[in-house]
Amino acid sequence: MIATLKTTLMEILEGSPKHRASRYVELAITVVVLVNCSAVVLDSVPEIHAVYKDFFHELEFWSVMFFTAEYISRVWSLGAKYDHENGGSWKGRLQYIFSPFGLIDFFATMPHYLHVFFPTLDLRILRVLRLLRILKLSRYNTALQDLFLAIHSERKAFGSAVFLLTIATIVSASLMYFAEGHAQPDLFGTIPHSIYWAIVTITSGSGNVVAITKAGEAIALTTGFLGLCMAAIVTGIVASAFTNQVARKKAAFEAQLRTVFSDGYMSEDEQDTLKRLQAHYRLSDMQVEAMMLSVKNKSSAKH
Amino acid sequence: MTSIAHHQSSYRRMKQRAYEIMDGTVPDKYSHRVEISIALLVVANVVAIILESVPQIHDRFTAEFHAFDVFSVMVFSVEFMVRVWSYGEKYLDEKGSQWEGRKEYLFSFYGIVDFVSTVPFYLQLFFPGADLRILRMFRLLRIFKLSRYNSAFDDMVAAIKSEKDSFSSAIFLLFISCLLFSSLIYIIEGHDQPAVFPSIPAAMHWFVITIVAGWGNVDPVTYFGTVLVILTQILSIALAAILTAVVATAYTAQVERRQALYEMEVRAVLADGVVTEEEQAKLKMMQAKLGMSDDQVQAIIHQMEEEKHISDAKKTKAWEEKNTPQLQSQS
Repeated sequence: MIATLKTTLMEILEGSPKHRASRYVELAITVVVLVNCSAVVLDSVPEIHAVYKDFFHELEFWSVMFFTAEYISRVWSLGAKYDHENGGSWKGRLQYIFSPFGLIDFFATMPHYLHVFFPTLDLRILRVLRLLRILKLSRYNTALQDLFLAIHSERKAFGSAVFLLTIATIVSASLMYFAEGHAQPDLFGTIPHSIYWAIVTITSGSGNVVAITKAGEAIALTTGFLGLCMAAIVTGIVASAFTNQVARKKAAFEAQLRTVFSDGYMSEDEQDTLKRLQAHYRLSDMQVEAMMLSVKNKSSAKH
Repeated sequence: MTSIAHHQSSYRRMKQRAYEIMDGTVPDKYSHRVEISIALLVVANVVAIILESVPQIHDRFTAEFHAFDVFSVMVFSVEFMVRVWSYGEKYLDEKGSQWEGRKEYLFSFYGIVDFVSTVPFYLQLFFPGADLRILRMFRLLRIFKLSRYNSAFDDMVAAIKSEKDSFSSAIFLLFISCLLFSSLIYIIEGHDQPAVFPSIPAAMHWFVITIVAGWGNVDPVTYFGTVLVILTQILSIALAAILTAVVATAYTAQVERRQALYEMEVRAVLADGVVTEEEQAKLKMMQAKLGMSDDQVQAIIHQMEEEKHISDAKKTKAWEEKNTPQLQSQS
């Protein structure tokens, strides 16, 4: 009895499509997180804080209760993930506790209790940790995880882009220090000061400071142009990462399509399979349509 | 009896013709002329609205501008009425009701644009006290009439729709980073620069400017603040890159789909081995509708000719193999 309850609870919390309740749980958590974040933002405005101080305090207390209940039920129910042969109930629990989402859940909730026991703690740190609650939402946005996977697969290219950025920053900052260090000692007096200027110029195209000397002007223009190149490089890398990811998914999907079309017609079962695969690979309708047409074209070319 | 039937059919033919000309489904010179004259009038209208906002020009040509506006409103009203009237023809054969096609037009994007960009003028006639600035804003909507003749706008909407997952995750990323970064900068720099970061909403304003422009007009004072500002600036590049990449992927998918559609059509045309004039015209129309360049079309046709060549060669070879023994036995 308890074992089935545990399994059901785990499936609901993990968002299994088997239960309708999992959608409601997802919705409830999302709403509470959004309300919390709006509260943190609004609470920072002095006028609002003066009027609604008690309300925000109350809200924080009940949200912490809610998140604590969520955390405890997650830890408890995840004991059902592995049975005795596969490592027992604590394997699943420890896996969750030390996963990124488990750590977010913990640190977004527990500091409140610390505050209760150690009232002298710096409030600002508590506020930062409260903001971590927004990251709980990334559990429900799988597209975001896709994005990070795409970027992760191109990490070498990103590494070289960061290397280029570092070199460009240091070179233009040092040159600027030599060119303008005497003319504007309070702004370019040290290389770290110039580094800040260089990064602003690379990202925005024009810096926070106008150069005075002719050499400084030339360096500033070159740095701004370098920023344009950096933007182009990063855009290219991200675009190719996306394209590669889509190409991988499409290859897998197209193989399935080919087997479906090999006998010349599509049964309802096969249609269902394709629909599920499309959802799994998160391909857009347009991409699927293009692939279907091209597979049809190819098969008609063979006959 | 016959005269009524004849009368009805000629009325219907006229309506059918009006629908074809207005909708541009069958490209001929009349629909092309109507298209060009509406487009020219819209451009002239937009230029007039822009020039009218310059006080010196407005004072000198007030009467001319007014006359031009009356003229355009008349033309656009006639256009709107003809469209509503003739679009009844669209589904007449299939569904039987005139209002099916009319309803579709009236509640489509273009129907609403046609209506909203014309009708406020009449409102002004009946209620002279209405705010002129709002009327002028509605007049500017006329520029959207042009998007009917250019698929770029539709393309963009379709691309965003098909990649809505990626767009939503990019926006989610923006949202999360906005919350985290503006709260952090408020906590770190709020004490040192109370004028700039008095609250998190104020810090959010700074964040959005930094993301869009690369620099938010504020220099940090503390060391943590400097690190945070630099991180935000790098994030601005990354977010721009992600959005660009998503749009690029969406466009590629769209182009692929169009090529496949066109290829299918060409295959159907080439299936019987002859290309009639009618089929050629159909292909031309399809190319125009899908917005494909001549280069793309050439590539597809070339590829198909190659394929045909190969399969022909195979067929000849198979035929020869099948028939050689017979030939030998005959000799």
